[in-house]
Amino acid sequence: MGVESSKAWEALQLHYEQGIGEVHLKSLFEDPDRADAFSIELDELFLDYSKNRVTKETLSLLVELAKQQALPDWIDRLLTGEQVNDTENRPAMHAALRAGGKDVKGVALSVQADIDAEFNKMAGIVNKIRSGHWRGYSGKPITDVVNIGVGGSDLGPLMITHALQTIKSPINLHFISSIDGTQTSNLLKTLNQETTLFILASKSFTTIDTLSNAETARDWLEEVVHDSNTLVSQHFLGVSTKPDMMSQWGIPEENQLVFWDWVGGRYSLWSVIGLPIALKVGMDGFKEMLAGAHLMDNHFGSAELEKNMPVLMGLIDVWNINFLDIQAKAILPYDARLRYLPSYFEQLVMESNGKSVDRAGEKVSYKTCPILWGEVGPNAQHAFYQLLHQGTQSVMCDFIAPIERDDFDRNSVSEKDGSLRNQHELAMANCFAQSRVLMLGDAAIPDSIKEQFNTPFKHYPGNQPSNTILLKTISPKTLGMLVALYEHKTFVESVIWEINPFDQWGVELGKLIAKEAHAAIKDVTRIDGFDSSTQNLIKRLVK
Amino acid sequence: MKVSVFGCELSGLVTAGALAQTGNRVVAMPIGVVKVEDLYQGVLPRDEPGLSQLIRSQVEEGGLVFEADWRAGVKHGEVLILSMPSWRLDRAEEVIKVIGECATGDVLVVNQSSFPIGTADRFEAQIKLAFAQRGLVAKVSVAAMPEFISEGSAIGDFTRPDRIVLGSRDEQSINRIKDLMRPFNRVTDQVKVMSTRAAEYTKYAVNALLATRISLVNELANNAEHFDIDMEEVRQGMGSDARIGFSYLYPGCGFGGPSFAADVKNLVGTLQSKGYDADLLKTVLSNNESQKEVLFRKAWRFFDTDLRGKKIAIWGLSFKPNTSTVENAPSIKTVEALAAQGATINAYDPKGVADFKKHYQGCSCIEYFEDMYQALEGADALFILTEWKSFWSPDYELMKSRMTTPVIFDGRNIYEPEVMKGLGFRYFGVGRGETI
Repeated sequence: MGVESSKAWEALQLHYEQGIGEVHLKSLFEDPDRADAFSIELDELFLDYSKNRVTKETLSLLVELAKQQALPDWIDRLLTGEQVNDTENRPAMHAALRAGGKDVKGVALSVQADIDAEFNKMAGIVNKIRSGHWRGYSGKPITDVVNIGVGGSDLGPLMITHALQTIKSPINLHFISSIDGTQTSNLLKTLNQETTLFILASKSFTTIDTLSNAETARDWLEEVVHDSNTLVSQHFLGVSTKPDMMSQWGIPEENQLVFWDWVGGRYSLWSVIGLPIALKVGMDGFKEMLAGAHLMDNHFGSAELEKNMPVLMGLIDVWNINFLDIQAKAILPYDARLRYLPSYFEQLVMESNGKSVDRAGEKVSYKTCPILWGEVGPNAQHAFYQLLHQGTQSVMCDFIAPIERDDFDRNSVSEKDGSLRNQHELAMANCFAQSRVLMLGDAAIPDSIKEQFNTPFKHYPGNQPSNTILLKTISPKTLGMLVALYEHKTFVESVIWEINPFDQWGVELGKLIAKEAHAAIKDVTRIDGFDSSTQNLIKRLVK
Repeated sequence: MKVSVFGCELSGLVTAGALAQTGNRVVAMPIGVVKVEDLYQGVLPRDEPGLSQLIRSQVEEGGLVFEADWRAGVKHGEVLILSMPSWRLDRAEEVIKVIGECATGDVLVVNQSSFPIGTADRFEAQIKLAFAQRGLVAKVSVAAMPEFISEGSAIGDFTRPDRIVLGSRDEQSINRIKDLMRPFNRVTDQVKVMSTRAAEYTKYAVNALLATRISLVNELANNAEHFDIDMEEVRQGMGSDARIGFSYLYPGCGFGGPSFAADVKNLVGTLQSKGYDADLLKTVLSNNESQKEVLFRKAWRFFDTDLRGKKIAIWGLSFKPNTSTVENAPSIKTVEALAAQGATINAYDPKGVADFKKHYQGCSCIEYFEDMYQALEGADALFILTEWKSFWSPDYELMKSRMTTPVIFDGRNIYEPEVMKGLGFRYFGVGRGETI
């Protein structure tokens, strides 16, 4: 018997059928205290979840469901380092990475010394590079660092360093991920071999995307560096769980940073994979990010379910998906620095919960992860908001915005800063207006202009649920809190759905077949096993 | 003439001493940490050839008095000279304020310091405003007369100048300043009169051109190595072109010092802050910073990128010979670079050790020596960063006997590559000697 036929689930289904399913958000807001009652604040992060189609009763029934699914026990198992990743027989200890030796128990405690040692090594490398004392082959200081990695070894550092772009760094950072070589080719034209260092970031150190880009980088260096030891020792760092593979590639031990198989790829920015982040903001800044996430971990591990931010977010998403039948979620940051956040959450959420088999291996009979996508809000307003406002899909939205900008003085009287302040206020005004219109629909139209909207084409149904998350500012700490919040709310959903969020078997077969396809492209006589469509495509390539 | 000099750093002391020597009654006032008692004791902030004798003799003869109270100076001087480091603009503002508050009659201020363009005009307006507020009717004139003195030859530069750049449009002020400078302007009339802004800009322009020239020569020298060309031969060829000339044509390990590099930096800062172009000068500065590490880079390659445990002797810490100043000197960056790679350093400088210790509080990997040969004991290589006279003709055999390996990286090209090779040294200059 799955969760869908459990008592708590059925209670929610009954609750839905008793009318809440039909209730429009605008009527829920007749309660003037709703915003206060349905919001929660933790340190520098504020979550307003009032614009969801839930009542107090919905929430208490959802909490009952969480209890029935033993969520507190699962949270404890996650945070203490038990084997929550049962298909791969290992724990998922991303929270242990950011504990800094504090507030941890069990296996998560036992790995603290290893983590600390690796972070110390990382700090040495970071300080040497940032102070200009990491030298290229000719003796010039390294000025540009290129992170070669894909997936979890790319997206986290890319997203965070882009978000922290207003922090000045002595190092120019670049990211290469795509297997096709275009990024690499374009980037290398702008860089100088004397002053460029590459990070090879790969959990397995077998990722073909990364290794093929690394070969191109090595060839580029070989044009001018004739000593292969110097080439690797001064121009390559390796970050992986596989020191032997890094050594085999030629990376000396002192240039290797190691993490462990209990760090999932999409959770690895907290490990030495976060090296580009530390290069951007310094090791202290990196530790601030970890501390921000740790703050969220402690909250997740200790707050009552009713007042637990990740739990509330996860449960409300379950309600939206499984009871209100909403199968799409938009991530809408209202600051261009958070441009990569939607991609990051797409990976985090869909790679974790995009599954249809439960922990017991049984096919589930309910919906799991929705389709997630997103874009910087003000840009998306000129693109897919049309669908949000008037399409046939119900979509839940997460609006994310910083209250303050820290890249100019708030009290500055300069015209440029005045304009920037005004732009920030405009962006926030748009953020607040959009969630209001999505919620209220026509009811948001001021009476004075109601006439102008009196046509079916200008009808706004509203009733689209949303969360609004306000960060005090965009900083290492708030980003740490934000990412940890989504990690945990994703975990909460997986517990309700009884799936393992920490494996990703779905991405394996494609890699395998790509190898076969590559073999067939190199030697077309091996094409026979393929279907006619794939055969045709290969022939078009090799003709 | 009664003269008051505000500022008792190098430029202020040279100005005060030289003007007292020609019969003026001079009151000199410190504007920073320098103390009047120390000045009377002969403790000077800069170790400049001839300066302490000049100051002592003028104090003894009574022509030069030191004074802590600026108001006394304002009352005393018919000419008030501002002679401060470029980064003490804040103190100059305070002096101007005191002048505005205390002066009782006509005021002639002469600014010698490298302050931003337009400072003289601004100071004049400030004093006039202060006078108006006090109801004082008096003439105010602020002239610009940038100093062109170099450390090591400062007194000669002041008393036998190539030219005197005088920025003022006021006839009476011009005549008075010319009269003050007359003893130093005897052979031909060297005074170039122009607007105050043009005078201020001239100082920056001169340093910008010289800095550009040095950086260009350095870049040419670094690249000459790639083609096995001896830059010294090229220097002879270039310098003999009358349009070019020989001065400031020596390649080396970069320029430094407290005023020259700072002036160019300030000019770039001023231009950039206003959104004007300064691309060439920015490149000149960044090239120069990189050039300060040129010997480090050579050693880095010579030792196959591994300097751990290597002992490097350094001759010369000051930014140029005959001075104790190490500010902005190549020695600081070089020592930092070597220390970061795990090398140890034996340092020798005839005068610069004390100042170097103030600027570099890095690791314990550096040891200081009072004898240049002792510094070579056990050294894997010698770096020459300053062309002190005592380095030019050393006891080569003694050097070799002290060093573990006879390797010289010469940042000032003071030796002949062929001679050094004959003596058994591996010798690497800037654009000369062996190429790595």
